Amino acid sequence: MGIPTTPQITVTGERPSRLSRLLKPFAFMSLPTAVLAVLFLIPMGILVYFSFQYGDLTGQSGFTLSNFTDTLTDPLYREIALATFEIATIAMVAQLIVGIPLAYVLAYKAGRFELPLLLALVLADELNPMVRIYAWRMLLGREGLINDALTSLGLINAPIDALLFNKFSVIVVLSTSYLTYTVIPIYASMKAVDSGLFEAAKDMGAGWFTTFRRVLLPLIAPGIFIALLLVYVPLFTDFAAPSLVGGTSGIMLGNVVADMVLQNGNLNMGAAMSFLMLLAAALFSLLAYQLSRVKGGAK
Amino acid sequence: MPLSRRIERALPNALGIGLTGFVLVVLFGPVLLLALFSFNDSTVISLPWEGFTTRWYSEALNDDGAMSAIGHSLVVASVVTVASLILGTLASWGLTRIPFRGRSLVAGIHGAVLVVPWLIIGIAGLIFFSQIELALSLQTITLMHIVVTFPLVVAVVSAGLIRFDPSLEEAAIDMGASQLQMMRYVVLPQIAPSLAAAAIFAFAWSFNNFEISFFTGGFEQTFPVWVYGVLRHSSNLPVVNAASTIIALAQVLLVFGLWYGMKLMTKRRGGTDRDAAEMITGAVR
Repeated sequence: MGIPTTPQITVTGERPSRLSRLLKPFAFMSLPTAVLAVLFLIPMGILVYFSFQYGDLTGQSGFTLSNFTDTLTDPLYREIALATFEIATIAMVAQLIVGIPLAYVLAYKAGRFELPLLLALVLADELNPMVRIYAWRMLLGREGLINDALTSLGLINAPIDALLFNKFSVIVVLSTSYLTYTVIPIYASMKAVDSGLFEAAKDMGAGWFTTFRRVLLPLIAPGIFIALLLVYVPLFTDFAAPSLVGGTSGIMLGNVVADMVLQNGNLNMGAAMSFLMLLAAALFSLLAYQLSRVKGGAK
Repeated sequence: MPLSRRIERALPNALGIGLTGFVLVVLFGPVLLLALFSFNDSTVISLPWEGFTTRWYSEALNDDGAMSAIGHSLVVASVVTVASLILGTLASWGLTRIPFRGRSLVAGIHGAVLVVPWLIIGIAGLIFFSQIELALSLQTITLMHIVVTFPLVVAVVSAGLIRFDPSLEEAAIDMGASQLQMMRYVVLPQIAPSLAAAAIFAFAWSFNNFEISFFTGGFEQTFPVWVYGVLRHSSNLPVVNAASTIIALAQVLLVFGLWYGMKLMTKRRGGTDRDAAEMITGAVR
C-alpha cells in the first residue's frame, strides 16, 4: 500500500522550472547585491582611480604615480608607519596574552558563568567607543583620577605625565577596545576542541605548556587567524583613539590619512594612502590565512 | 591531600578568576568611574569628591548639541537597523538556500565589506559622494551605515540558517504548505533569535560608528562625532560625562534585554544556555 503513494508525493513536490531557477536568486539577491555594488564596489573603485590621478587645483588632471612615490618616500610617513606598526603589534600581542587564557577560562572553566561573561564581553564592545576613550582619558590624564589618587595617598609627589598623550595610552585604549573581537573567535574555536584531548596529553606525560603548544594551539589556529583579521588589521587604521589620547608621539597612520583628506583636502593623496593600507591589509590577511592553514593542518 | 597538591589544584582556578576579574575591571572600571563622576559637583573631573549633584544631567538634557546628536544617532540607527534586516535576511536566504552561478563571489563581496577598515570605506564614501555631487548629510551617513551593517546581519542570520536543517522546509512544502506559510511557520520561528541578535548588533554598529559618520557626514553630527568634537576642544566635559552615562546605561539595558530575550526564546524551544552562547559566537565563525 505504501508503494503507490510514493510517486504521488514526488508529483506534488513542485519541480523548479527554468524560469523560477533564474528568478529566485534574482528575487533574493538583486537588491543586496545592487546596494553593495553602488555603495561599496563603485566607491572603492573610484578610490583606487583617484589614487592614480593628480591635482585639481589648476583644473588639470591626469594619470600619475606620484601619490604613491610621495607617500612611500616621505621619511615622516615612514616614521609614523613604524610607530603605527609598533602600537598595533604591542596592542595585538597584549590582547592575545590576555585573550587566549581568557578564552580558555570561558570555554572550559567558567561553568554557569560562561554565558554571563560572554555577554559582558559583548556589552564591552557595544559600549560607545567614544565614551570608552573619554573614560580612559579621564583616568590617565595629568589631573586624572589615577594621578589624583596616587598624590592624595602620598605615593607620588608630582603627577605622572607619562600616562596620557603617548603611545602607552593609545595601546591601553586600543587593547581594551578590541578585546571582544580577539577573545570571541578564539573562544569559539576552543569550544569545538574536545577537552578529552588535554587529559590524553596529560596521561602521556605532557606538561601544560607542551599540551598548549602541541595540542591546543594548532587546533585553535583558525580562531586566532580570525582574531588577527578582525583586530590586527583595524588596529592599523584606527584614528579616533590616537587623535584623542595619542598626543604628538602617539600619532598613527589613520591620523595622517584623515588629515590628508579633511585638513589638506588632498583626496588623491588620501586615496593613495588608503589604497596602500588596503593592499597591506589584503597581503597580511592572505599571509595569516596561509599560516593558519599550515598550523591547522599540522595537528 | 598534601598541601602542595592542593595548591597545584587551586592555582589554575585562582589564576582564572584573577584574569577574569582583571579583564572585567579594565573593560568596565573606567566607564563605571565616569558614571560615578557624572554626579560630582565640580567642573573638573577629579578628586576630591565635591558632593552629589544631578546638575550635569539637567545641563546635558538642555544642551542642544548633545540632544540633537543623540537624536540624529537614534534616527540613523533605526533606519539602518530596519534596512539592514531586510537586505540581510534576503541575502542570507539567497546565499544559504538558493544555488546560483557566482554565489561564492557574491558571498565573498559580502564578507569583504566586513574586513575593509571603516576608515577606508569612509574615505571612499566621501570621494564617491563628492563625485556624484550629493551633499553630505544624515542621509549619506545612513546609506554608508547600511552598506557596512547589512553584511553583519547576513553573517548572523546565515549562521542561524546553516544550523537549521533545510529538509524541514522541504517537508513543509511536501505536506502542502505554500512558500509563504513555510517561511512564516517553519523558518521564521527558527531564525527569530538570530534576527533579534542581528537587530541589536546592527543598531549598535550604526549608533557607535564613528569613522564612517565622521567622513560622510555633513553639518548634522551623530553622537560619536559630537563627543569627538567636544573632546578635541576639551570643552564642557561634565556635560559629555552625563550624556555618555545616559548612553552607556541605555546600552547596558539593551544588552541585558538581548540576554533576557534570548534566554526566553531558547528556553521556550527547549534550548539551553549553550545555544544562546553559540548564537553570539556564530556571527564571527
